[in-house]
Amino acid sequence: MILRLKKKNRKNRPSRDELMPPEGVPLTLPIAGVGVRFGAQITDITITFVALVAVMILLAMLNITSPQTMIAIGALLFFLIRVPYYVLAELVWNGQTLGKRILKIKVVSHDGGPLTTHALVLRNMMKEAEVFLPATLVLMLDASSPLASLGALVWILICLLIPVFDRYRRRLGDMMAGTHVIHLPVPVLLKDLASEPRMISLNRKEFVFLSYQLDHYGAFELQTLEGLLRAQNTQPTSDGGAQRNKTIAAIVEKIRKKIGYANPVPPPDRLRFLQAFYKAQREHLEQRQLFGDRRENKHYANNGEDA
Amino acid sequence: MKDQDLMRSARFRKERETDWRRLETLVLAAEQRGLQHMDFAEARDLASLYRQATTSLSIAREISLDKALLGYLEALTARAYLCVYAPQERLGGVFHRFFAQSAPQAMRRSWPFLVLGFLCMGLGALAGYLLYFESPDWYYVFLPTELAGGRGPDATYESLRAVIYDEDPNSSGLGAFATYLFSHNTRIAIFVFGLGVFACAPAIILTFYNGLMLGAFYALHVDRGLGPDIAGWLSIHGVTELSAICIACAGGLKLGTALLFPGDFSRVASLRRAGRDAVKLALVAALMLLVAAFLEGFGRQLVQDMYMRFIIGWGIGALWLIWFVFGGRVQR
Repeated sequence: MILRLKKKNRKNRPSRDELMPPEGVPLTLPIAGVGVRFGAQITDITITFVALVAVMILLAMLNITSPQTMIAIGALLFFLIRVPYYVLAELVWNGQTLGKRILKIKVVSHDGGPLTTHALVLRNMMKEAEVFLPATLVLMLDASSPLASLGALVWILICLLIPVFDRYRRRLGDMMAGTHVIHLPVPVLLKDLASEPRMISLNRKEFVFLSYQLDHYGAFELQTLEGLLRAQNTQPTSDGGAQRNKTIAAIVEKIRKKIGYANPVPPPDRLRFLQAFYKAQREHLEQRQLFGDRRENKHYANNGEDA
Repeated sequence: MKDQDLMRSARFRKERETDWRRLETLVLAAEQRGLQHMDFAEARDLASLYRQATTSLSIAREISLDKALLGYLEALTARAYLCVYAPQERLGGVFHRFFAQSAPQAMRRSWPFLVLGFLCMGLGALAGYLLYFESPDWYYVFLPTELAGGRGPDATYESLRAVIYDEDPNSSGLGAFATYLFSHNTRIAIFVFGLGVFACAPAIILTFYNGLMLGAFYALHVDRGLGPDIAGWLSIHGVTELSAICIACAGGLKLGTALLFPGDFSRVASLRRAGRDAVKLALVAALMLLVAAFLEGFGRQLVQDMYMRFIIGWGIGALWLIWFVFGGRVQR
């Protein structure tokens, strides 16, 4: 019973991609996975490391340091380059380091507000504590103190595993700072199929659908049809033409049978038929939706009984 | 095709499409050039068009089943949201606010934890001092051999004095500075802060232990009649450095108590609240460690006079104190 209740709750909670801005209209910002974030991190480490090597070569040429202290100076310089780099890059580029810019991901505030300086400083300082400092420990204390190295290694592993199990893929630092990382969405506006001019063909009457014929499908089927019609505008592959015609024919037959459309559709009119059906169906469904009758898919009639 | 022939959702789209396109170009401009470099008119339009687009999105979700339109509006509003709510602070402003206001204010707010931190270190030092005079063997218990650098209870007056007044420094300057930063005390400070989250105990124990070492080390030199000399040797950087460890300890304690006694908040929320000040304490401690590294790397070898060492060490300590006590006061 409790288990079922929990399951229900899990189903009912809002999607993890949803972010609520102060305007109160939930936005969809897909969460960035562990893989892409790891990629961005590797890119950033490479960038900072290249900067470090450049400075080290400069120091070596100026002959300021002795070779014995080179490693210590390198570790120090890496620290001094790395820490400001992350914080300042995310401050200046609104939550993006160079690696994040290349991979098109971005830090956002978990509660939908603006990113604060405090949050960015905290999440990047925690990165030091989570990964870099234990990593330096592992590299510096070798055989002499295996216990400390092992402890540091376990610590790193735990910190790397936390995002895998978190729903929003947050690091420890993300949780403390109240942030998470998202994919940048790309806005592309396609043409509206419903406002396209009808395909004109002579001596043919228009397809007319009656309202009972439009009660069979819901929004999901409509949008699948939309995807199919959009795909028709692209160039067919060399052997795809015949295959595509066959698919269209099958779909037209299926729709005709389902909605009880008596007249046969001749092959040249098939696309025209689908387009007309799309338009009529969409108009009908949008009309129903305005009256509070939202039809998610073709099983909309059965859903009422479950609830 | 005339407007009358279109269905409602298509008309809705047609009426607003130009605004959305304009918003799209504005968002691109803001992302590339930054909000600061946009015209007044552009920035104003960006904000108002963004709010229109959110309204459009919530209407479209109700009246339209056009997947292309919904997807576009979702992406466009999300991008515009990210632009409009970008952090609007200049870097100079961030630094200025930290030094002039937030750091000293955070220090003053967390004075009970600071007192606790200094108390841990002080009691440790006292205990170490007294224990050494009870039996010098305690020295070996407290100080790891690599840290002592050959300075043990067997060392002679001359050898101890030679370390304090290093006449021929061959490892000075940048090299010493760098090796120092990754040496013992920095690591202690980091652990003291980080481990505070685990219910305070590790932070207190580590700070106390650090005090024990200090006390025993000092007692050894007092025993050889080098008391004032070692005090000078330690103060030139130690005032800053040991304070940094105590401040890091205070930050760790703050996190730990937030976890132990969350009050009316959930533990995560309480940790987040305490984090605001604790991070500032950690930054202050890091800054002090950096200054201490400079003092140890350069100052200690260059300044060989005992009184000068006292003056520099405690003078800089007084400067820190002035910053913490008087910085960021709001004038009424």
